[in-house]
Amino acid sequence: MYLSPIVKKDVKVQARSMKICWGVFAYELILALVFFLAMSIIQGESRYSTSNVYSAMVWLYPVLAVTQLIILGLVVPVRTASAISGEKERQTFDIMMTTGMSPFSVIMGKVMTAIVQGMFFVVASMPVMALSFIIGGMSWAYLFLFLGIAFLVSLFAASIGILCSSLCKKSISAVIMSYVFYLLFFLGTAVPLIIYWIVVANLEYSLGTVPQFVESYGANIYLFTLLNPAVYLAEFFAGIMAGRSVVSSMVSSMGTQNKGPIVLLTTGYWWLIFATILFVGVSFLFLWIASKRINPIKGQRRKGGRR
Amino acid sequence: MGACMDMGKRGCDGMLQINHLYKSYGKFQAVSNLTLHIPKGDLFGFVGPNGAGKTTTIRMVCGLMLPNSGDIFINGIDAMAHQKEIKKQIGYVPDFFGVYDNLKVREYMDFYGSMYRMNSREIQRISDDLLELVNLSDKKEVFVDTLSRGMKQRLCVARALIHNPALLVLDEPNSGLDPRARVEMKELLQNLRSMGKTIVISSHILSELSEMCNSIGIMNHGSLVAAGRIEDVMEGVFGNNQLVITLDEGRETAIRIVNEYTKVEVDSVGEHEIKLSHNMTKTEIAQMVGAMIAGGVVVTGFHKQEGDLETLFMRVTGDGQ
Repeated sequence: MYLSPIVKKDVKVQARSMKICWGVFAYELILALVFFLAMSIIQGESRYSTSNVYSAMVWLYPVLAVTQLIILGLVVPVRTASAISGEKERQTFDIMMTTGMSPFSVIMGKVMTAIVQGMFFVVASMPVMALSFIIGGMSWAYLFLFLGIAFLVSLFAASIGILCSSLCKKSISAVIMSYVFYLLFFLGTAVPLIIYWIVVANLEYSLGTVPQFVESYGANIYLFTLLNPAVYLAEFFAGIMAGRSVVSSMVSSMGTQNKGPIVLLTTGYWWLIFATILFVGVSFLFLWIASKRINPIKGQRRKGGRR
Repeated sequence: MGACMDMGKRGCDGMLQINHLYKSYGKFQAVSNLTLHIPKGDLFGFVGPNGAGKTTTIRMVCGLMLPNSGDIFINGIDAMAHQKEIKKQIGYVPDFFGVYDNLKVREYMDFYGSMYRMNSREIQRISDDLLELVNLSDKKEVFVDTLSRGMKQRLCVARALIHNPALLVLDEPNSGLDPRARVEMKELLQNLRSMGKTIVISSHILSELSEMCNSIGIMNHGSLVAAGRIEDVMEGVFGNNQLVITLDEGRETAIRIVNEYTKVEVDSVGEHEIKLSHNMTKTEIAQMVGAMIAGGVVVTGFHKQEGDLETLFMRVTGDGQ
């Protein structure tokens, strides 16, 4: 099996540094704290209710999973944000670009390194995660679903980081820019919804009603949140834990006469499927842009003009 | 055959052919109408003052920068059209480069070999040979960041050769090296040349270039002002008509004899040395020296006045002074 030399080298080099030991330690420590906090809440709740403490253990799954996804989402872009700018700062970038590897292979190598390291942490937490499966009685399929979501979050976070790394000369600027990108995805995708609510509220206030078109198609404004990671994770965990759709509930609250693509997306798992495709697509778009950005000879000739 | 400045646009059988290359950064013209031909097996020295355009040219040759216009052919392959193929033809050693922490010499070679999709057995065989060539065989298990600068520089040369490129390009490889490391680097490059590698090296240390290169190119203000075999460039700049006669006795007689020849002028007279400018043939020179000896002048030697690379460099980059 072909393994990118960049992944092989980076994983080896980083495994030899103390950073990785401290990283695993911090990761496990955070998970342990969250685990004990969750356990104490579960036990406290069971004292005043008739619910079985063992069946309540299933709630460890979303708690620990979300904690891990948040950590991955915060750590992975830091790793990739310093990947290209770090090579430039270390003055190894030019040599890398004169080798037989294409810019896209270099980008993929850096991204895969960050994903592999992120998945190391996730796999290291499996024994704790397994409690909700062994004691709580959850289906093991959800464990693999979690691994899939962790991979997707790592890929998305890594692609944001590597894009910023290709745009910035310094690692620190790339890290800051990565978090600004995050804000855009978390808050930016919610902005159309907020604007919509304000407009509808104003219309209702001034006209006493909203136009029929807005009534029918207004719920499609939720399509912007297809790229909102918070909505995606809420949809995923609500589906697993409660068997319901968060987006469907929100859309239904806007009326029963909804028309347009939102109707299809709020039936079954279509929202999750479509959002997953979108996140993967956006990630690869970022990787492609990053590979174009680091290609030293792409598109420069036209800029200077031919004599 | 040495490097030359002007060749046809196509049909080059040399290692590196650059035709009418231009590169500008905004309004600053870094490289202007550069045309150069370097035959296979040459050790070509690229010299010029800071900002002359050497590094820009090297970066364009190595595919790290696109020219505004012009063509580059490496081993007959169009570098603009076949970037992937060109990468296999070139080994590049930049002026400043870093190494990875926590990576051993053997792993460093292994990493770059893998970047060329070489298999591990092939990499091990070639890197063993290369590390021996650069005298780092005993450092295979040493971490790269603990090596001295000279060793790192030699390792970088070995790294650049891992895929057996036809052309090795070194940008200021001797900067920051101590005298011993410089000598070792010079020997290494001469060894590589004797193995048939074509090497392009840019440097400020002209004395070293004149010792190891067989051809040079001098850049100034983005243009190539002189290029070719070192002897030819020297002859073109200094001319071939200066003669130094050293003698022990009979200086006045010697000057009298010289004055009898119309094609000769005395430039300067020292206690044991007379410098002449002439346009005589070799036979006429021999006759003149013979006449001196016959006239009782004790001639201890005579030789053509040689220019050095420093003087040459100063003259061709001296803005016409």
